[in-house]
Amino acid sequence: MFRNFTLRALEFGLTFFLAISINFFLPRAVPGNPLQLIAGNAAPQLGKERVEALRAQYGLDKPLSEQYVIYLKQLARGDLGMSYRYSGGKTVVEVLGENFRWTMLLVGVSLTLALFIGSALGIWSATQRGNSSDLGMLSFIYLLRSIPPFWLAMLLIPIFAIQLGWLPPGDSFSIPRLHGWENIKDVARHAIMPVIVLTLAYLPTAFAVMRAAMFGIMESDYIRTARAKGLPNHWVVLKHGLSNALLPVLTAFMVDLGQLLGGVTVIEAVFNYRGIGSMMFEAVKSRDYPLLQGGFLLFTITILLLNILTELLYPFLDPRLRRAT
Amino acid sequence: MNPRSLADLNRRLGPTRRLARLAAWMGSLVLALMVLFALFPERIAPYDSTERVALPLQRPEADFLLGTNDLGQDLFSELIAGTRASLFTGLIVSFISVLIGASIGLLSGYLGGWVDSLLMRLTDLILVLPFLPLVILMSVYLGPSQRNVIIVLAIFFWAGPARLIRSRVLNLRTDTYIEAARALGAGPRHIIARHLWSGVRPLALVQVVLVASASILAESSLSFLGLGDPSGKSWGTMLYFARASGAFLSDAWKWWVLPTGLMITLTVLGLGLISYSLEQRIAHSVT
Repeated sequence: MFRNFTLRALEFGLTFFLAISINFFLPRAVPGNPLQLIAGNAAPQLGKERVEALRAQYGLDKPLSEQYVIYLKQLARGDLGMSYRYSGGKTVVEVLGENFRWTMLLVGVSLTLALFIGSALGIWSATQRGNSSDLGMLSFIYLLRSIPPFWLAMLLIPIFAIQLGWLPPGDSFSIPRLHGWENIKDVARHAIMPVIVLTLAYLPTAFAVMRAAMFGIMESDYIRTARAKGLPNHWVVLKHGLSNALLPVLTAFMVDLGQLLGGVTVIEAVFNYRGIGSMMFEAVKSRDYPLLQGGFLLFTITILLLNILTELLYPFLDPRLRRAT
Repeated sequence: MNPRSLADLNRRLGPTRRLARLAAWMGSLVLALMVLFALFPERIAPYDSTERVALPLQRPEADFLLGTNDLGQDLFSELIAGTRASLFTGLIVSFISVLIGASIGLLSGYLGGWVDSLLMRLTDLILVLPFLPLVILMSVYLGPSQRNVIIVLAIFFWAGPARLIRSRVLNLRTDTYIEAARALGAGPRHIIARHLWSGVRPLALVQVVLVASASILAESSLSFLGLGDPSGKSWGTMLYFARASGAFLSDAWKWWVLPTGLMITLTVLGLGLISYSLEQRIAHSVT
């Protein structure tokens, strides 16, 4: 167990290292020089001396290995550089801090909802294996998986926000901002549509993973024994089936987290929701490279932390792992 | 097995087989239609989708079935013309990804040892990275073009197939016919190319279809964010302009946004249905 944990920690560390290395090498690997990326369209007009000065300012005149060490040192101090977009001078860390909670709100609520609803549907489907309600459910999930989530968002906004006027069309709160209880209601109303879209986007994964896990388990000997003892069906499914399915479901879900979590980017962009995703979308338009790199790094860290958290949860979900420690 | 449970089994497998057959038919039909659109857009579309043919932002009428966009181009013709980019990108990405994925899965699964550990760590790394944010980052650096979208997506989509094919190879390699081949003196190259490849081929085929559908979805997201070829016609780009011009907030969502997304959904669903029926067929031939 301990050896296993050390190994996993090493793996997470390696992933993190890879992510920060991608951040460093990507801008330097593409054709053209990084300075052009920094100066943008103004680059050709700059004089030779100005270019040299800029190169020195950004440390681009040093050898690559030295630049890399400087970059790592800055990162260790929590310095991700300055965002280009805010001329008043905002650090990337500041901008990320302002936006991160909104993304966490959306992703947290949607992932939880999707896990519960998707798992419930998956369990139900598995108990109906092969009959028409299982297959009907499966077809519905296939359809859901084929719908581009950002398109769904583009349909919900004109219907529910513009024509019916029930919900706000975008942003994460009203301006001017309300206070106290009214503010909470206001934030909730703004979150409804993005949460619906994201939950529907996450649902198929939770469903498929749970259905497959339950299929395997419901065929096993201990389920047959439980049935033979005359236990009621719901008891067999929930107590003996589900408790054994939880671990593989969580593991499989975490593998897909990289795919799932990133999807929030497009949805936030459609709703102009003030999260990391919208921030990245704006950063694409203004070619704000430090901000884009910061966003990617933050997503990676979040995924890694969630993975570590799940790893720590395992002993609570599976008594066999508890005894081994 | 006693007759009663056998009959029970038949009864229970019945609807599954029927659904798989229905899925195969519907999926093939949709795909055939899309291939037709992709191959002969100029025969099917009433106008050249790059030409200004009417006033901008017109409502649908007899001459312009879905109205016109913000530049006065016929939306219906644009919809047909967009099929090629979406389908083409999806298929190219999936062929490249599965080719890489299958090679890595075969090598990793058969050779084992440090090769296996190294390749699988790499696969895990790819799988854990936040897909869309990194794809956005890479596309921004590489610049918006259809070729770059293909490269960026292929870098990510090989990992899933590699994992699946490796685990299949792990099952196959202990089979007697592989051991027999080895006993007769066959080298790893011969065994992988001749015996193992034919064992994982059905699985690879399913993966081609699945990855194609995932790539079409991903390509539409990227184009929607403005990272695709801005001058090319694709469904994602159409939705990008629908949003950029604010048209989706007016009644135009009914003839601009709705049909475009339906085309994406239909294509992805068609491929999904085909992969489902293929999976069922493999499951039955194995057991």
